[in-house]
Amino acid sequence: MVRVLGWLVMAFAVAPREVTQGNVQRIMYVHVPLILASYLAFGVLAVASLVYLVRRDPGADRLAHASGEVGVMFVGLGIATGSIWGKPTWGTWWTWDARLTSVAILFVMYLGYLLLRGTIEDPERAARYCAVLGIVAALDVPLVHFSVYWWRTLHQPPSLMKPGGFAGSSSILWPLLVNLVAFALLYAYLVARRVRLLRAEAEATA
Amino acid sequence: MPDNWGFVAAAYGLTAAVLLWYWRRLAKKERELERVNAGSETTVAERSREPSKTGHPRPEPSPRTPLQ
Repeated sequence: MVRVLGWLVMAFAVAPREVTQGNVQRIMYVHVPLILASYLAFGVLAVASLVYLVRRDPGADRLAHASGEVGVMFVGLGIATGSIWGKPTWGTWWTWDARLTSVAILFVMYLGYLLLRGTIEDPERAARYCAVLGIVAALDVPLVHFSVYWWRTLHQPPSLMKPGGFAGSSSILWPLLVNLVAFALLYAYLVARRVRLLRAEAEATA
Repeated sequence: MPDNWGFVAAAYGLTAAVLLWYWRRLAKKERELERVNAGSETTVAERSREPSKTGHPRPEPSPRTPLQ
Protein backbone atom coordinates (compact mmCIF):
# COMPACT_ATOMS: atom_id res chain seq x y z
CA MET A 1 0.00 0.00 0.00
CA VAL A 2 2.85 2.38 0.88
CA ARG A 3 4.53 1.50 -2.41
CA VAL A 4 1.37 2.30 -4.36
CA LEU A 5 0.87 5.58 -2.50
CA GLY A 6 4.51 6.54 -3.12
CA TRP A 7 4.07 5.67 -6.79
CA LEU A 8 0.98 7.90 -7.07
CA VAL A 9 2.57 10.79 -5.13
CA MET A 10 5.64 10.74 -7.38
CA ALA A 11 3.58 10.52 -10.58
CA PHE A 12 1.03 13.21 -9.75
CA ALA A 13 2.46 15.51 -7.06
CA VAL A 14 6.21 15.58 -7.72
CA ALA A 15 6.53 15.08 -11.46
CA PRO A 16 5.81 18.21 -13.52
CA ARG A 17 3.43 18.55 -16.47
CA GLU A 18 5.41 17.71 -19.61
CA VAL A 19 5.69 20.67 -22.03
CA THR A 20 4.81 19.02 -25.38
CA GLN A 21 2.67 16.02 -24.35
CA GLY A 22 0.82 17.56 -21.43
CA ASN A 23 -0.40 15.46 -18.51
CA VAL A 24 -0.82 12.33 -20.63
CA GLN A 25 2.96 11.90 -20.26
CA ARG A 26 2.27 10.89 -16.63
CA ILE A 27 1.32 7.47 -18.01
CA MET A 28 5.08 6.97 -18.54
CA TYR A 29 5.56 6.77 -14.75
CA VAL A 30 3.64 3.51 -14.80
CA HIS A 31 4.35 2.24 -18.35
CA VAL A 32 8.18 2.40 -18.22
CA PRO A 33 8.55 0.79 -14.75
CA LEU A 34 6.10 -1.97 -15.74
CA ILE A 35 8.12 -2.85 -18.85
CA LEU A 36 11.48 -2.67 -17.05
CA ALA A 37 10.14 -4.78 -14.15
CA SER A 38 8.94 -7.35 -16.72
CA TYR A 39 12.52 -7.46 -18.16
CA LEU A 40 13.64 -8.22 -14.61
CA ALA A 41 10.97 -10.91 -14.24
CA PHE A 42 11.92 -12.67 -17.47
CA GLY A 43 15.64 -12.38 -16.65
CA VAL A 44 15.03 -14.05 -13.27
CA LEU A 45 12.85 -16.67 -15.00
CA ALA A 46 15.64 -17.49 -17.51
CA VAL A 47 18.31 -17.81 -14.80
CA ALA A 48 16.04 -19.92 -12.56
CA SER A 49 15.14 -22.14 -15.55
CA LEU A 50 18.83 -22.65 -16.32
CA VAL A 51 19.47 -23.56 -12.67
CA TYR A 52 16.56 -26.01 -12.81
CA LEU A 53 17.90 -27.73 -15.94
CA VAL A 54 21.36 -28.10 -14.35
CA ARG A 55 20.41 -29.07 -10.77
CA ARG A 56 16.78 -30.24 -11.07
CA ASP A 57 15.99 -28.11 -8.04
CA PRO A 58 12.18 -27.74 -7.59
CA GLY A 59 12.79 -24.41 -5.79
CA ALA A 60 14.29 -22.96 -8.98
CA ASP A 61 11.29 -24.17 -10.96
CA ARG A 62 8.90 -22.55 -8.48
CA LEU A 63 10.82 -19.27 -8.76
CA ALA A 64 10.65 -19.45 -12.58
CA HIS A 65 6.91 -20.19 -12.45
CA ALA A 66 6.17 -17.31 -10.05
CA SER A 67 8.39 -14.89 -11.95
CA GLY A 68 6.72 -15.84 -15.24
CA GLU A 69 3.26 -15.23 -13.82
CA VAL A 70 4.12 -11.78 -12.46
CA GLY A 71 6.13 -10.97 -15.62
CA VAL A 72 3.19 -11.77 -17.90
CA MET A 73 0.94 -9.56 -15.81
CA PHE A 74 3.47 -6.69 -15.89
CA VAL A 75 4.21 -6.90 -19.61
CA GLY A 76 0.47 -7.16 -20.39
CA LEU A 77 -0.15 -4.03 -18.34
CA GLY A 78 2.85 -2.36 -19.97
CA ILE A 79 1.38 -3.02 -23.43
CA ALA A 80 -2.07 -1.81 -22.34
CA THR A 81 -0.80 1.40 -20.70
CA GLY A 82 1.44 2.07 -23.72
CA SER A 83 -1.53 1.65 -25.99
CA ILE A 84 -3.60 4.06 -23.86
CA TRP A 85 -0.75 6.59 -24.08
CA GLY A 86 -0.39 5.99 -27.85
CA LYS A 87 -3.96 6.94 -28.76
CA PRO A 88 -3.75 10.65 -27.79
CA THR A 89 -0.04 10.95 -28.63
CA TRP A 90 0.39 8.96 -31.86
CA GLY A 91 -3.26 8.98 -32.87
CA THR A 92 -3.53 5.19 -32.82
CA TRP A 93 -3.97 2.47 -30.18
CA TRP A 94 -1.58 0.09 -31.93
CA THR A 95 0.89 -0.07 -34.80
CA TRP A 96 2.91 -3.05 -36.02
CA ASP A 97 6.31 -1.44 -35.59
CA ALA A 98 9.32 -3.45 -34.42
CA ARG A 99 9.09 -2.51 -30.71
CA LEU A 100 5.37 -3.16 -30.37
CA THR A 101 5.48 -6.34 -32.42
CA SER A 102 8.47 -7.79 -30.52
CA VAL A 103 6.90 -7.00 -27.14
CA ALA A 104 3.60 -8.57 -28.29
CA ILE A 105 5.56 -11.72 -29.25
CA LEU A 106 7.22 -11.67 -25.81
CA PHE A 107 3.81 -11.47 -24.13
CA VAL A 108 2.36 -14.31 -26.24
CA MET A 109 5.42 -16.54 -25.66
CA TYR A 110 5.22 -16.19 -21.88
CA LEU A 111 1.47 -16.61 -21.96
CA GLY A 112 2.19 -19.87 -23.78
CA TYR A 113 4.73 -20.68 -21.07
CA LEU A 114 2.00 -20.42 -18.40
CA LEU A 115 -0.47 -22.41 -20.52
CA LEU A 116 2.14 -25.14 -21.08
CA ARG A 117 2.50 -25.50 -17.30
CA GLY A 118 -1.22 -26.02 -17.00
CA THR A 119 -1.49 -28.59 -19.81
CA ILE A 120 1.21 -31.10 -18.73
CA GLU A 121 0.17 -33.24 -15.79
CA ASP A 122 3.58 -34.65 -14.86
CA PRO A 123 5.19 -31.83 -12.79
CA GLU A 124 8.76 -32.90 -13.61
CA ARG A 125 8.11 -32.94 -17.35
CA ALA A 126 6.20 -29.63 -17.18
CA ALA A 127 9.10 -28.03 -15.33
CA ARG A 128 11.64 -29.33 -17.90
CA TYR A 129 9.67 -28.21 -20.98
CA CYS A 130 8.85 -24.85 -19.41
CA ALA A 131 12.49 -24.26 -18.47
CA VAL A 132 13.52 -24.70 -22.11
CA LEU A 133 10.69 -22.46 -23.36
CA GLY A 134 11.46 -19.85 -20.67
CA ILE A 135 15.11 -19.60 -21.75
CA VAL A 136 14.25 -19.45 -25.48
CA ALA A 137 11.56 -16.79 -24.90
CA ALA A 138 13.99 -14.67 -22.82
CA LEU A 139 16.09 -14.22 -25.99
CA ASP A 140 13.32 -11.88 -27.15
CA VAL A 141 14.03 -9.42 -24.29
CA PRO A 142 17.18 -7.89 -25.90
CA LEU A 143 15.33 -7.91 -29.23
CA VAL A 144 12.53 -5.84 -27.64
CA HIS A 145 14.98 -3.42 -26.05
CA PHE A 146 17.23 -2.86 -29.08
CA SER A 147 14.49 -3.02 -31.73
CA VAL A 148 14.19 0.79 -31.61
CA TYR A 149 17.85 1.05 -32.69
CA TRP A 150 17.86 -1.81 -35.21
CA TRP A 151 14.70 -0.82 -37.10
CA ARG A 152 12.86 2.42 -37.87
CA THR A 153 10.05 2.50 -35.34
CA LEU A 154 7.30 4.85 -34.27
CA HIS A 155 8.22 4.03 -30.67
CA GLN A 156 10.87 6.37 -29.31
CA PRO A 157 14.31 5.10 -28.17
CA PRO A 158 14.76 4.16 -24.48
CA SER A 159 14.84 7.05 -22.00
CA LEU A 160 16.61 5.34 -19.11
CA MET A 161 18.58 2.30 -20.22
CA LYS A 162 20.73 3.82 -22.96
CA PRO A 163 24.35 4.92 -23.46
CA GLY A 164 24.91 8.36 -21.94
CA GLY A 165 22.09 8.04 -19.44
CA PHE A 166 18.89 10.06 -19.11
CA ALA A 167 18.90 13.29 -21.15
CA GLY A 168 15.72 14.87 -19.73
CA SER A 169 15.02 16.99 -16.67
CA SER A 170 15.80 15.61 -13.20
CA SER A 171 12.23 16.49 -12.16
CA ILE A 172 11.11 13.76 -14.58
CA LEU A 173 14.01 11.39 -13.89
CA TRP A 174 13.51 11.12 -10.10
CA PRO A 175 9.81 10.17 -10.15
CA LEU A 176 10.64 7.66 -12.88
CA LEU A 177 13.46 6.12 -10.80
CA VAL A 178 11.36 6.04 -7.60
CA ASN A 179 8.53 4.32 -9.48
CA LEU A 180 11.01 1.90 -11.04
CA VAL A 181 12.24 0.91 -7.56
CA ALA A 182 8.62 0.67 -6.34
CA PHE A 183 7.68 -1.71 -9.16
CA ALA A 184 10.85 -3.78 -8.65
CA LEU A 185 9.92 -4.13 -4.95
CA LEU A 186 6.33 -4.96 -5.86
CA TYR A 187 7.63 -7.62 -8.26
CA ALA A 188 9.86 -9.09 -5.51
CA TYR A 189 6.98 -9.12 -3.02
CA LEU A 190 4.49 -10.77 -5.39
CA VAL A 191 7.03 -13.38 -6.51
CA ALA A 192 7.99 -14.20 -2.90
CA ARG A 193 4.33 -14.65 -2.00
CA ARG A 194 3.64 -16.78 -5.09
CA VAL A 195 6.70 -18.97 -4.46
CA ARG A 196 5.54 -19.56 -0.86
CA LEU A 197 2.12 -20.53 -2.17
CA LEU A 198 3.56 -22.90 -4.80
CA ARG A 199 5.71 -24.57 -2.13
CA ALA A 200 2.71 -25.00 0.16
CA GLU A 201 0.66 -26.46 -2.75
CA ALA A 202 3.46 -28.92 -3.53
CA GLU A 203 3.64 -29.98 0.13
CA ALA A 204 -0.14 -30.37 0.31
CA THR A 205 -0.29 -32.64 -2.76
CA ALA A 206 2.80 -34.71 -1.76
CA MET B 1 -1.71 19.50 -26.49
CA PRO B 2 -4.83 18.74 -24.39
CA ASP B 3 -4.22 17.01 -21.09
CA ASN B 4 -6.29 13.90 -21.80
CA TRP B 5 -6.90 13.16 -18.13
CA GLY B 6 -9.30 10.39 -19.13
CA PHE B 7 -6.44 8.43 -20.70
CA VAL B 8 -4.27 9.00 -17.61
CA ALA B 9 -7.08 7.78 -15.33
CA ALA B 10 -7.68 4.75 -17.58
CA ALA B 11 -4.00 3.73 -17.51
CA TYR B 12 -3.63 4.10 -13.73
CA GLY B 13 -7.06 2.62 -13.04
CA LEU B 14 -6.39 -0.44 -15.20
CA THR B 15 -3.01 -1.02 -13.55
CA ALA B 16 -4.48 -0.67 -10.05
CA ALA B 17 -7.43 -2.97 -10.91
CA VAL B 18 -5.23 -5.74 -12.35
CA LEU B 19 -2.76 -5.58 -9.45
CA LEU B 20 -5.64 -5.69 -6.97
CA TRP B 21 -7.18 -8.65 -8.82
CA TYR B 22 -3.86 -10.57 -8.67
CA TRP B 23 -3.41 -9.67 -5.00
CA ARG B 24 -6.90 -10.98 -4.14
CA ARG B 25 -6.31 -14.11 -6.25
CA LEU B 26 -3.18 -14.90 -4.23
CA ALA B 27 -5.02 -14.27 -0.95
CA LYS B 28 -7.91 -16.52 -2.06
CA LYS B 29 -5.53 -19.34 -2.99
CA GLU B 30 -3.77 -18.99 0.37
CA ARG B 31 -7.10 -19.21 2.23
CA GLU B 32 -8.16 -22.28 0.21
CA LEU B 33 -4.86 -23.99 0.95
CA GLU B 34 -5.16 -23.21 4.67
CA ARG B 35 -8.66 -24.71 4.65
CA VAL B 36 -7.43 -27.87 2.89
CA ASN B 37 -4.52 -28.22 5.32
CA ALA B 38 -6.80 -27.71 8.31
CA GLY B 39 -9.17 -30.37 6.94
CA SER B 40 -6.46 -32.95 6.40
CA GLU B 41 -5.27 -32.53 9.99
CA THR B 42 -8.60 -33.82 11.28
CA THR B 43 -7.83 -37.45 12.02
CA VAL B 44 -10.14 -40.40 11.67
CA ALA B 45 -10.24 -40.68 15.46
CA GLU B 46 -11.40 -37.09 15.77
CA ARG B 47 -14.05 -37.68 13.14
CA SER B 48 -15.33 -40.74 14.98
CA ARG B 49 -16.02 -38.63 18.06
CA GLU B 50 -18.25 -36.30 16.04
CA PRO B 51 -21.99 -37.01 16.17
CA SER B 52 -23.26 -39.10 13.28
CA LYS B 53 -24.80 -37.02 10.49
CA THR B 54 -27.47 -39.68 9.84
CA GLY B 55 -28.58 -39.80 13.46
CA HIS B 56 -27.64 -43.46 13.86
CA PRO B 57 -25.54 -44.26 16.92
CA ARG B 58 -21.93 -45.05 16.09
CA PRO B 59 -20.88 -48.54 17.15
CA GLU B 60 -18.42 -48.58 20.00
CA PRO B 61 -15.02 -49.87 18.90
CA SER B 62 -14.59 -53.49 19.86
CA PRO B 63 -11.97 -54.22 22.52
CA ARG B 64 -11.16 -57.47 20.67
CA THR B 65 -8.82 -57.68 17.73
CA PRO B 66 -10.06 -59.72 14.73
CA LEU B 67 -7.74 -62.60 15.66
CA GLN B 68 -9.33 -63.00 19.08
